[in-house]
Amino acid sequence: MKVRVDPDRCQGHTLCAMRAPEVFELSEIDGHASVADEEVPADQEDQVNEAVMSCPERAIAIVSTAGARS
Amino acid sequence: MSGDGAMSGDDRKRAPIRFDRHTPEYREQFEAVTQELQGKCPIAWSETYDGHWVASGHHEVFEIARSADVLSNDHDVKGERRGYEGISIPAPPRAKSSRGGFLEMDPPEQRYYRQTLNPYLSPAAVNRWIPLVDEVVRASIDERIEEGRIDFVDDLANIVPAVLTMAMMGIQLKKWTVYNEPAHASVYTPPNSPDQARITEMQRAMGRDLYTSIVEIRANPRPGLVDALVRADINGSTPPDDELLGVLALLIGGGFDTTTALTAHALEWLSENPRQRERLSRERGALLDSATEEFLRYFAPAPGDGRTFSADCEIVGTRFKEGERLWLSWAMANRDPSVFPEPNTVDLERKGNRHSSFGLGIHRCIGSNVARMVFKRMVTQVLDRMADFVCDPEGAEHYETIGVIQGMRHLPATFTPGPRLGAGLDETLDALQKVCDEQRLAEPVTVRRAVAKIDH
Ligand code: HEM
Ligand code: SF4
Repeated sequence: MKVRVDPDRCQGHTLCAMRAPEVFELSEIDGHASVADEEVPADQEDQVNEAVMSCPERAIAIVSTAGARS
Repeated sequence: MSGDGAMSGDDRKRAPIRFDRHTPEYREQFEAVTQELQGKCPIAWSETYDGHWVASGHHEVFEIARSADVLSNDHDVKGERRGYEGISIPAPPRAKSSRGGFLEMDPPEQRYYRQTLNPYLSPAAVNRWIPLVDEVVRASIDERIEEGRIDFVDDLANIVPAVLTMAMMGIQLKKWTVYNEPAHASVYTPPNSPDQARITEMQRAMGRDLYTSIVEIRANPRPGLVDALVRADINGSTPPDDELLGVLALLIGGGFDTTTALTAHALEWLSENPRQRERLSRERGALLDSATEEFLRYFAPAPGDGRTFSADCEIVGTRFKEGERLWLSWAMANRDPSVFPEPNTVDLERKGNRHSSFGLGIHRCIGSNVARMVFKRMVTQVLDRMADFVCDPEGAEHYETIGVIQGMRHLPATFTPGPRLGAGLDETLDALQKVCDEQRLAEPVTVRRAVAKIDH
């Protein structure tokens, strides 16, 4: 599965990186999130799904996978 | 102005509710009021305080809070723009009015301030302070550890956020006492209290000290938030002194009472739920993050904020008119069962906890990383050193109303005494002052990335 952070919606709440620190990187300057690699490793999928559900701004989207939530 | 509601046949405001969050009843009946509002009218019109909308449903709060193009935080104290009244409902009396820093500004101005402060308050910037915070927590606990009793508010949760704020600002650590009492007392003291004159005097002393710091640091730069602000580029010019004072007061007002409130409520809950406390202590590596978010959701220290609609608009099926006031209830949104199953239960492991306790949208609490870090460091040492603490319900004193902050004035507790580990608070602050100065800890993360080093 693939994951994206919408930079216009992200406000830097940092909950995604608490849930999936290996996938979401926080800017050193303002704490806004990005993903270095859109492709999510299989062993990170649960954490990424949780990050999606935890983001207060609904800024994280999972793309192109059946059954995933966004 | 509005307030004509049902009378004028404005069908948007049919069946107005009577919502007054400044009454003790709102605090006492918070769950019932929330349930009723969310069930009947998650966006409702109330006639109180010259009339205002109340958003209590999560979906409504979420959609409206993020509609920055039609919402204003502006507090037009001098009547230079559209006369909007900022984020307090009701607005403070004209004579006492001052702009609450960039929380009462709109973009682009607000964004310039955030850009100035972000490199001091990002997760990476905040983590550099952990060793210093741990020392302040250690010393605060040492002051009480042999006695076996502590007031978690006065002796711990008030001290640590205040000392760290001084350090980040570039103000002397020992001055935390100048700022501490006025920052809390100005929230919990009712306007008609006989104590008001004393509080006002303390607030003046705090204002004088802030102003002195501005002048001093402008002349002799030393790193920190004050320095960042006096040199800030706000759309091509540096901010005038009255705006600077407003922003510095916002950093203090925004950070002190809220962090104290979160810590005190969480510790009180852990005392009442000793098995959960044991579990949190045992599994803290896995649980502390989610528990912190759950305490934030449940106790929502800043229960809500006001806005003014800056244009006619329609959001989530309701039409709003330019100039109308709105209350966004972060606390009630946090209890919406459509987003949080069993919303009135504390679940330390809660998943999908998209709470709004730090706000939503462009004004998201810029101090959220500071608050979380300080909270976690305080709770961790309490769990380590006072594992069996029991709070005294007789002595616990909650704020009478939660209209502004859901806070606590006192939370006494007893525990099995233990040995001191180091110097007392004053001596520790003197030593830490040297560390701050020598290592220039208050630089932004763009200048200094290393974590504070403290010799023991
Ligand atoms: C648990 C502790 C805290 C809570 C619950 C909290 C809550 C909030 C909330 C809800 C907002 C958004 C207000 C709105 O949208 O109208 C906010 C904004 C703000 N907070 Fe916090 N806060 C906390 C700690 C802090 C700390 C430690 C600081 C300072 C270091 C701070 C400084 C600010 C500032 C400057 C803003 C304005 C941001 C803007 O307008 O762009 N807060 N806070
Ligand atoms: S949780 Fe959402 S808003 Fe927060 S940093 Fe991650 S993507 Fe951004």
